[in-house]
Amino acid sequence: MNLPLLTIIVFLPLLGAVTVALLGNARATAGRAIAATVSVVDLVLVAWMTMRFDVSAGMQFVEKVAWVPQANMTYHLGLDGMSLTMVVLSALLTLLAIVASWKTGKNPALWFSMLLLLEVGMNGVFLAMDFVLFYVFWELVLVPMYFLIAMWGGPRRQYAAVKFFLYTLFGSVFMLVGIIALYLQTGTFDILEMAGAGLDPSFQWWVFGAFFLGFAVKVPIFPLHTWLPDAHVEAPTAASVLLAGVLLKMGSYGFLRISLPILPDAAAEWSTFIAALAAISIVYGAAVAFAQTDMKKLVAYSSVSHMGFVMLGIASMTPEGLNGAVAVMFSHGIVTGMLFFLVGMVYDRTHTRVIAEVSGLSSKVPIAGGLFAFASFASLGLPGLSGFVGEFLSLLGAWASDIPVGWVIVSAIGVLLAAAYMLWLVQRVVLGSPSAAVESIPDLSTREVLVLVPLVMLTIGVGVYWDSLLRFTDPAVRSILAMMGGA
Amino acid sequence: MSVGLPQMLTLSAMLFGIGLYGALSRKNAVHVMMSLELMANAVNINLVAFSRFVTPEVMTGQFFAVFSMVVSAAEIGLGLALVIAIYRRKRSVELDAVQELRG
Amino acid sequence: MSMDYVLLVPLLPALAFAVLTPMPRTVRLKLVPLAVGAVFGSLVLSIAAFLAVWPGGQQLEPAWHGVVTIAHIGDRAISLGLALEPMSAVMLLVVTIVGAAVQVYSLGYMHREERIGWYYAALSLFTAAMLVLVLSNDFLGLFMAWEVMGLCSYLLIGFWHEQEAPRLASIKAFLTTKVGDLGFMLALAVIYAEVGVFDFATVLGHDWSAGTATFVALLMLFGAMGKSAQFPLHTWLPDAMAGPTPASALIHAATMVAAGVFLIVRAFPIFEASGIALTVTLWVGLGTALLSGLLAMVQHDIKKVLAYSTISQLGFMFIALGAGSPTVALYHLVTHAYFKSLLFLGAGVIIHAAHTQDMRQMGGLARKLPVTSLTFAAGSLALAGVVPFSGFWSKDEILAVLLHEQQYAAFAIALAAAFVTAFYVARLWFRVFTAPTQQAELHEGHRSMVAPMVVLAAITAVIGFFGPTLGGFLGHGIPWPAFGTAAVSTFAAAAGIMLGWYVYGRRKSVVNTQVIKQRFPHAYGVLVNKYYFDLTYGYFIVGGYTALARGLASLDANVVDGIVNGAARTWRSLAALGWAFDRRVIDGVVNGSASAVRAAGARMRTLQTGSVRGYQTLVAGAVVLFVIWILVKGA
Repeated sequence: MNLPLLTIIVFLPLLGAVTVALLGNARATAGRAIAATVSVVDLVLVAWMTMRFDVSAGMQFVEKVAWVPQANMTYHLGLDGMSLTMVVLSALLTLLAIVASWKTGKNPALWFSMLLLLEVGMNGVFLAMDFVLFYVFWELVLVPMYFLIAMWGGPRRQYAAVKFFLYTLFGSVFMLVGIIALYLQTGTFDILEMAGAGLDPSFQWWVFGAFFLGFAVKVPIFPLHTWLPDAHVEAPTAASVLLAGVLLKMGSYGFLRISLPILPDAAAEWSTFIAALAAISIVYGAAVAFAQTDMKKLVAYSSVSHMGFVMLGIASMTPEGLNGAVAVMFSHGIVTGMLFFLVGMVYDRTHTRVIAEVSGLSSKVPIAGGLFAFASFASLGLPGLSGFVGEFLSLLGAWASDIPVGWVIVSAIGVLLAAAYMLWLVQRVVLGSPSAAVESIPDLSTREVLVLVPLVMLTIGVGVYWDSLLRFTDPAVRSILAMMGGA
Repeated sequence: MSVGLPQMLTLSAMLFGIGLYGALSRKNAVHVMMSLELMANAVNINLVAFSRFVTPEVMTGQFFAVFSMVVSAAEIGLGLALVIAIYRRKRSVELDAVQELRG
Repeated sequence: MSMDYVLLVPLLPALAFAVLTPMPRTVRLKLVPLAVGAVFGSLVLSIAAFLAVWPGGQQLEPAWHGVVTIAHIGDRAISLGLALEPMSAVMLLVVTIVGAAVQVYSLGYMHREERIGWYYAALSLFTAAMLVLVLSNDFLGLFMAWEVMGLCSYLLIGFWHEQEAPRLASIKAFLTTKVGDLGFMLALAVIYAEVGVFDFATVLGHDWSAGTATFVALLMLFGAMGKSAQFPLHTWLPDAMAGPTPASALIHAATMVAAGVFLIVRAFPIFEASGIALTVTLWVGLGTALLSGLLAMVQHDIKKVLAYSTISQLGFMFIALGAGSPTVALYHLVTHAYFKSLLFLGAGVIIHAAHTQDMRQMGGLARKLPVTSLTFAAGSLALAGVVPFSGFWSKDEILAVLLHEQQYAAFAIALAAAFVTAFYVARLWFRVFTAPTQQAELHEGHRSMVAPMVVLAAITAVIGFFGPTLGGFLGHGIPWPAFGTAAVSTFAAAAGIMLGWYVYGRRKSVVNTQVIKQRFPHAYGVLVNKYYFDLTYGYFIVGGYTALARGLASLDANVVDGIVNGAARTWRSLAALGWAFDRRVIDGVVNGSASAVRAAGARMRTLQTGSVRGYQTLVAGAVVLFVIWILVKGA
């Protein structure tokens, strides 16, 4: 492997971002073409890597160069099944976000450049195997997302952007403390070397707590979730998609990549607490989603609920649970991405997101309505679509684990509640007679359908043949569990 | 009577005294400058005298005196220029007429 | 001969769905024959599969099976399998025959609908899912098909979604069955934790402890109660009648609602291992059969009568299961599938002809709709349990099993339910067909609608004679009815019909039912209000949840987010405080030193006289002082 493939995947979008920004708004048409090309190339590289990926091997395409040898920092990128799953998600959704926001009129050069910059951070987080690098990418993500919300957002965009920024910064400060604590204890910044370091359990407990705060905000887990609805409601469509589709996953990815392998004893101690919070997030998110009057807010709260299943799977610390967690992460990425795209497309036409003002999509715009219904069914976990895979496996894992049965049953009720809010949304928005806002809108354009079709196909593919996803995640999950000492 | 160091110093002191008196007593800026020149040349005499009688093997004092005279010449040139400038504004070269720098 | 064609049985309708769905409405319309063709293809292949399994018996190896592993997790693998054995072969026939009948019938019934293409797509998906369900060789595959059927049921109930009632009915149906599905899903979790795989052979062969078996069985029973609309999860089925009638015939009479029964038949060894679960099943069935039958007596909507009747008959199947005879339950399932779908199709013709579903506005249809009235009569007699129609035989078996198990109380209740059944059937039939004519313009259904009814009626008329054959095919005996029970059940049926005739059927001096209603206002109120289930659920569960959700949402906006915003506000006031401190104290120090310097300067400046001679004097004075100082120092 001569070509530093991972570096290219991470930094190619940076090149694109700089180029697009330098071209400026005057040559924005060229800029967005470059942005699209860069993200297509990135996706192709990721796809090529997926095909070359050897599921029986561990970390692959590793690049490890001394960076700051004095402090034992390395430039260390690596790829395992879990990273791959997430990078696929990030590369795909970035491309789709660029295509979906093709017609952005306000400051397009900066817009596309920010999207690409975001991709740098997202890819970096999922590929970095060195703490410093990880942290840098983690923080890097905040910047473009802040601008995406603050510059292209809704009426309360400043508030939402600042809230998003501060909230996540608040979490990452604790994470930084944890990283430094770990460094002082082990003398390395390498995530993989740290795994299985056999740290003192009480030390682990505190560090886990610090990481927990950092990751839990990002996931987000109840009661640290309140930045999410605001950010989503104010964010422009593409930013919402990436926020829900990829950024939330960074938190749960952190748990899987860092907290569990490095701090296994603490993870075992914390698991019941996390499971309880997960169950509460599931039911609470679902209930609050049910009461929303704004489509985007509903989908945002549904994210809280779905990410609860991720945390439930993680807390179970069983092969089923962890695979389920990654599967929910992936599935939520594509399905919620689809929902946000659709809400955005509806909003573009009707200029409202108020549920009561939109109805009868299926009669007036059958393609939009049909896809909306499809995404909703995928979201509520219909078997045969991807949402079911992860939620079901999380529940299986949780049931088989030490998590108190009560919390598992509460989580299972979340499946019912998901059906309730999702169908109630479909009921009001997709079905019925067309409302005034829907009366004379055009159906989806070819470009918009093209954005959604890959997601639809992935949803069905993963939902029918689970191994298409699990063959990548299962080896990674096994290695995590092995690092935890077969816990 | 041979001219020795004491005589030279006495001359210098007299010149200095005359210059100091002139500088303090005169109102005319040109007079004051002339008095200043006297004092400067008193110093020059001192320099040459000490050089001649204390360290005759090196010419340091003489050189210093030459430097001093050059600087004086320049200083007088600047000073006269100032005086002319003041005269143009005030139509007078009385020192008491210029009090703009009062704090 | 390879039997992989069995795979095509569910695949054909699935393909029809896959082809129809992405098409624009106008193209879909033209592709309807494709869907009908697909289900007929499935029918032919099912017959072939049935013949291949013949003569059945208790086989250990399925005649055909296929497995695909869909997931590898740790050391375990999750597989989905299909298998063809006698039970699934019988069910294949039931599903494809009723399915084909319904699809042909719908050509006539739905031909005016603009979205008939979508209707056929959903119907095809449903058929595919149901066929997968009956072929499934493991609980997971069964569950997945089960859920997809729930989706189709939702889509078809809400077919006329522009109207309020179907919209609400569809969501109610989905959510109520989903409540049951939670039980099923948790049962799967327990099975996975206990056994590690889902396939029938391994799970059923597992050495279940009584406690775990009871747990799993009760969870499954809960799932089955949701799907098969047993009390207290029955409320969705009558509302589901808001969907197109042929869809009701297929989904909410013949097949999907029977899936719950089918599940328990499949999982029967676990129920047996539990014992308690069987008792619970029995009493759920008894309660449902009787209570729902009573409700059918007071309904005026012809479809709702049939809906409650379906619930009641499903209750009979549960009774058979609870009494320990899955074969008899399956037998009743099969006969019921035919005669109930027949009744629904008949109801469809009646509704088309009468333009109403209210029986009070019907009457005298026998003369105008001769074929329908005859086929409907066949279905009604089967439902009432009159020899030789199919319902008689299977219901009789259920009663016989109860007697055999010495469940006398249960026998009495079941008999009462049978009597009630006969009564409401008679009420329905006499009211619709013989009561005085109220409408002039009435037309028999189109032949595409009549032909399927005739076929189903024929099946209903003869299938009862094949009970023992079916029993042999399934590997368990179904005996011919014993004279005793047959006499008792026939007496009950006859009594019910006679009473129905006495009240509703006589040409003259029809009993004034208003008097009865006024005589027993409380009992009537309870029945008319459907035992207050809907009100209770609507008020407490739906209303309670809505209120809770609203409360939580405002809690989230005000308290949870309020804490964050409060923290932000506190921080901001702290920052304001800090700023004040900054301005007053820190800036104060800086500014203070500056003003001190300024004050000093103000005093110092007086030295600056601007007088040149003054300066000179100062300098001279300083020099003098300096010299003096040197002189003094030197001395």
